[in-house]
Amino acid sequence: MNPKNETADHKKQLGLVIDLNVCVGCHACVTSCKEWNTSGSAGPLTDLNAYSANPSGTFFNRVQTYEAGIFPNTQTVHFPKSCLHCEEPPCVPVCPTGASYKRAEDGIVLVDYDKCIGCSYCSWACPYGARELDQERQVMTKCTLCVDRIYSETLPESERKPACVLACPTSARIFGDVHDPKSDASIAIQERSGYALMPEWETQPANHYLPRSIMETIEAARKDS
Amino acid sequence: MRPQFSIIFFTTLAGMAQGLLFSLAILDIPVQIFTQSFLSTFAFPAALVLLGLGLIASFFHLGRPERAWRAAMMWRTSWLSREVIVLPLLIAVTVLGLLYSLTHEIPFWLWIAIIFATILLWICTAKIYQCIRFIQEWSHPSTLMNFTLLGITSGWMLLGVLVGLSDGAKEFPLNSVISGISFILLFVAFNLKLWIWRRNRSLRPKSNLASATGIKGTNIRQTSMGLMGGSFNTREFFHHQTERAISNIRKIVLLCAYIFPMILVAYSISSPSNVIFILALVIHFIGLLAERWMFFAEANHPQNLYYQRVS
Repeated sequence: MNPKNETADHKKQLGLVIDLNVCVGCHACVTSCKEWNTSGSAGPLTDLNAYSANPSGTFFNRVQTYEAGIFPNTQTVHFPKSCLHCEEPPCVPVCPTGASYKRAEDGIVLVDYDKCIGCSYCSWACPYGARELDQERQVMTKCTLCVDRIYSETLPESERKPACVLACPTSARIFGDVHDPKSDASIAIQERSGYALMPEWETQPANHYLPRSIMETIEAARKDS
Repeated sequence: MRPQFSIIFFTTLAGMAQGLLFSLAILDIPVQIFTQSFLSTFAFPAALVLLGLGLIASFFHLGRPERAWRAAMMWRTSWLSREVIVLPLLIAVTVLGLLYSLTHEIPFWLWIAIIFATILLWICTAKIYQCIRFIQEWSHPSTLMNFTLLGITSGWMLLGVLVGLSDGAKEFPLNSVISGISFILLFVAFNLKLWIWRRNRSLRPKSNLASATGIKGTNIRQTSMGLMGGSFNTREFFHHQTERAISNIRKIVLLCAYIFPMILVAYSISSPSNVIFILALVIHFIGLLAERWMFFAEANHPQNLYYQRVS
């Protein structure tokens, strides 16, 4: 009997699984994230010059667009990107103040804004560019997995999910405990070959992406033609 | 990466102070060659001024400088935190050196403490960059070697200037010897820099768009980074200079940090001259600033893969 291993096996690790098959690139997750977090405990997320020539703002989530293949066999892939809540987060040990930390109870990587000195070192140590220094508050900010929503006791239970997950019109975002083999997130990763970004740096992101199954069809078509 | 002037000034100024203290200790331990008045009126005050300026510069790097004291907390894991502890330590032993030099000879243990603190600070400073494994230009022992060697070189040259100004050493054929060793240090540092640049050119990035996005298929390219305005990601991790500017700054590094000072100190081996030595140091320091600027500009951060195109 090894109680230590026992708990390690069941250690909660919350994260998102993003289905690239159905993301339509509408940016609803971006705007809902901004709306919730700018007015929540992680905010305000500053926008400078929002209505003039050189706007600049803090966001926890972005939707990017990529193309792959050669005409006529091409695909457009919309690709949401936020903090991946790595199991081995390289941003945490470099923080000189302890403001960046990974929660033991659920694996969420957070920043304590009251301790952050704004040295930006953690952002250098993140290969994904998931952290943004807030220009007005001069502290590092990042996705909190809506930690102030998911444990809320005032929101209806169905809304205790990250704002981006609730906003997604195509249900491309699955939220859950990736260490619990029975969670929707884990099942999606298991059954649909969920993968991690930049596996070469061994950060073990909690967030996973579901590959576009149509890509295999396209590759097959390309080989046939 | 975006060159950060606060860090450029901190690493060059503190590096020079460390080099000066290190050189003083190395020379004075075997045979006591520096007079007390040289140490108390020239050497230690110069080191303290440089360390103080470096410390002030480093504060400009912080978004919340009033909380800087918190940075000493995580010394178990963070090289930045260790640096924040070692810098005041070095300042403290230097102040102690200054106080001793006013009345006594510097005891052996204090020189050893000074050597220890200077080396420790070089390690902390360089490791801050070296430990980021995915910035491949930095993640190599040459980062530490370069910081240390250039610190010793600039500090040694400063020692030459101070000795020339003060006549502070006993029975020491200083000018020629200091010039000769300056030349050797510059030459070695120059070759190290050329080697580092060769290594940087031959680096193959471990990350690419395929690993960054996991998209299966050929010819992956970004069509939109997801934003049209600026963001921290588009500012902090790019140098925002043209190829031409980079190549010009690289020339400034080669000429000012290494080649011109080498010519000047080579000349002063045979005909020692304070003016020429001061000129060599000033040019070298300008080159050093450019060298540190390039150190940042040359570093490619993998997050840049995600920020290629606005549309």
